[in-house]
Amino acid sequence: MHRITHKPGSSRRRDGATMDGRPGRLAAYLRFLGVSFVVNVQAVVEYRVNFLAQVFGMMLNNAAFALFWGMLIGKVGNIGGYGFDDVMLIWALVSTSFGLAHVVFGNVRSLGRIIQRGELDLYLLQPKDAMLNVLASKTVVSAWGDFAYGFLVLGLLPGFGLERLALFCALSITGAMIFAATFAAAESLCFFLGDSSGISSAVTEFLLSFSLYPETVFDRGMRWVFYTLLPSGFIAFVPLAAIKSLGWPAVALLAAIALLYCAASYGFFRLGLRRYESGNQMGARL
Amino acid sequence: MPAITVDQLTKTFRTKVRPEGLGSSLRSLIAPEYRSVEAVRGVSFEVDEGEVVAFLGPNGAGKSTTIKMLTGILRPGSGRASVLGLDPSRQRTALARSIGAVFGQRSQLWFHLPPADSFRLLGAVYEIEPRILALRKAELVERFGIADYMDVPVRKLSLGERVRCEIAASLLHEPRVLFLDEPTIGLDIVARREVRALLSEIASRDKATVFVTSHDVGDIERVCKRAIIIHHGIVVVDEPMKELRHRSLSRKFIGVKYAEPVDFDIPGLAPVKRTPTAASFVVDTERLRLEEVLRALVGLGELEDLTVEDESLEEIISRIYGSAPGDRP
Amino acid sequence: MSLRLKARKYGVAALASMRNRTAYMGSLLGDALSYALFVFVFSRVWTAAYAGRDEIAGYGLQQMIWYFIVAEIPAFGFGRFFSTLAEDIKSGQVAYLTARPYGFVGYGYAQGMGKAAVDCAIYVALGLALGLVLAGPVPSGPPLRAAAVLASLAAAGSIQYLLQLALAMTAFWAEENSAFFWIYQKLKLIVGTLLPIEFLPEAARRIAAWTPFPSLSYAPARLFAAWPGDGAALALIGTQLAWASIAVLACQAIYALGRARLTVNGG
Repeated sequence: MHRITHKPGSSRRRDGATMDGRPGRLAAYLRFLGVSFVVNVQAVVEYRVNFLAQVFGMMLNNAAFALFWGMLIGKVGNIGGYGFDDVMLIWALVSTSFGLAHVVFGNVRSLGRIIQRGELDLYLLQPKDAMLNVLASKTVVSAWGDFAYGFLVLGLLPGFGLERLALFCALSITGAMIFAATFAAAESLCFFLGDSSGISSAVTEFLLSFSLYPETVFDRGMRWVFYTLLPSGFIAFVPLAAIKSLGWPAVALLAAIALLYCAASYGFFRLGLRRYESGNQMGARL
Repeated sequence: MPAITVDQLTKTFRTKVRPEGLGSSLRSLIAPEYRSVEAVRGVSFEVDEGEVVAFLGPNGAGKSTTIKMLTGILRPGSGRASVLGLDPSRQRTALARSIGAVFGQRSQLWFHLPPADSFRLLGAVYEIEPRILALRKAELVERFGIADYMDVPVRKLSLGERVRCEIAASLLHEPRVLFLDEPTIGLDIVARREVRALLSEIASRDKATVFVTSHDVGDIERVCKRAIIIHHGIVVVDEPMKELRHRSLSRKFIGVKYAEPVDFDIPGLAPVKRTPTAASFVVDTERLRLEEVLRALVGLGELEDLTVEDESLEEIISRIYGSAPGDRP
Repeated sequence: MSLRLKARKYGVAALASMRNRTAYMGSLLGDALSYALFVFVFSRVWTAAYAGRDEIAGYGLQQMIWYFIVAEIPAFGFGRFFSTLAEDIKSGQVAYLTARPYGFVGYGYAQGMGKAAVDCAIYVALGLALGLVLAGPVPSGPPLRAAAVLASLAAAGSIQYLLQLALAMTAFWAEENSAFFWIYQKLKLIVGTLLPIEFLPEAARRIAAWTPFPSLSYAPARLFAAWPGDGAALALIGTQLAWASIAVLACQAIYALGRARLTVNGG
């Protein structure tokens, strides 16, 4: 077998961009994400039965909550000015955003565990941004259920239209980014606190919980939380208003905010990574 | 230019002592206790391009810590490390393109996926052009004999099969330096020989610098040209494999047990310990051929049990220094 | 083996588990925070729900908040066995356990409940504190009520553990069995945790009465928030005990079947 005669490291795309030129790198990242996505999906689809079971399970989960709201609002009419349709729309938004975040960045809630087990090392050895690499290495099966559920509910609610659908898609993307950023930041606490799984799961639950309940039940005094640490405001409440009033400017604003959250989360991860590299975190594997 | 330069590399870990029980837990919240572990205490060496080096040491000697510092996973406490002219911890991503790593206890292959998919992913990770990736993959699959495993999920492969795929995967992007940390750990004799053979081949064919750590001397004896032994965080031996072999690796410990009492009277071979039916010997295989010794032993009587062991690294080190194992040189 | 030695063995397991639990203050703190916030969110939701009315489905606002506080205690204290149990079974840990000289179900129960006992004590204390702040004084009830509620909580927790163990043991047959747990979890939510049974439509309520779900959270919560009378209280606890027994038998049966399968397949 002949030896492939070319210099190592030169096996790159000849798309005109230099080795370190921006377009080249971006294209490479996108290709990586694409392949990662496809390969993970293929793996998951192989276990067809399991896949369907999980999707079914998540649909069931969301349906259970729909039942809860139905029963409650059935007895009292509305909660804090939110009717049944409003609550369902919030669910749809949150569900699809949440699902999308875990479909693309499937490791976003396993990050803490990966850090603790020292599995981060393997990602560090590869010539890709550590955070992106880790997060995109997996896709969560059940998240597909969440992702689809939102569209299903959107279709069933009165007032469906193409523009609404478009808004919904855009808002799901920004929502997904904010979800991913917040979860990753919570999981990154593991760099500093050792076993912070309790806090990480608390953040998940809280973010979800607050996003899924009408903003108006909370005192004005505490609503600032929803626009900072637990960004339910940007994932659910503002998008709800945007969809009901078909407000595209709000979408642009949310996109900017989503990017901000991503940047902050990335920065926090890098901070933690520095600590990891010093080997001094609690429970470090020598 | 040397491929790897290490100059007075040091690493001390400062970890919080894990509290035990309610009292200590509360106390640790207010005034945590720390414990210092000096894993690497000033290691220096140079490795030229194309060299094949064995980095040996007993467990806890600092091997893994050193290799982590060389690959950029860990930042050194003090001292300098340079791999291919780059600082591993500051220029990790840039370096990552040109190095490969196989960690015996951690798999780079995706656990639920077949190796074929992992190869695709790694191709994207290392930005290998698809055409070249396909060629390279075909070549490696043939060389390593893993064609049958490429479509089997990694979790279903045996450890030996997995390690072969692992090493193949690490060569996809044609790294200039290949780090292997305990690649044969947990493998049986046959699998170990296969891996050693592969390493030999890599050394000669791929023109890569190969840096292998192990706590098993037999692992690299025939593969590596040079041995660096680390103990308690410092380098205690750094010499060509030939010399080390001549000095130390030729000893075998043989234990025998017979059904009935036997007369242990073999010319040139005195037992170290003996009972009427059992004995143990230390054989210097540079002076006495193993085959002859075993023939003689088998001829003494009805053999019930036979063990043949290599000298452990600790024993070698202590012999080199004439100190007891556990003493700091 | 003598009963005393057997009991001691399980007692040691429970104690070790308890001590182990107290060592991991960090995660416990996180869970407790979770509980507190959850209670807070729902107290707000209920307050909004009760705007302009005194009573829904027979419960007043204060009773409803107390109900929720107590109903969530089993959910937090006894609700998370599944993942570790499933992990143990899937990883083959259980193969090692079968070789040990103690009952698999019993030992696991002692370990699990030992840990849960510590958690629950904390949630009870926390819940009382939260309730006094958010809902006002403790609802009135007969003197034996506290004992009844504690007994009911213990029973609820036991059933929860055993059911989750049974679900985890489906791993002997189905590698991906999380879906079963989710279904169980969601049903548990609707039937008695988020809402008292009285909120369910009539037909659903009657079906629910035949399931173990009312025994998981509704029983202790109802006993605390709206004492149903001595006779009804006894009936509730009695039902719980019955379900606990059924769950034990189910576990033993599944375990025996699963073990047989393990030895056939070689893990």
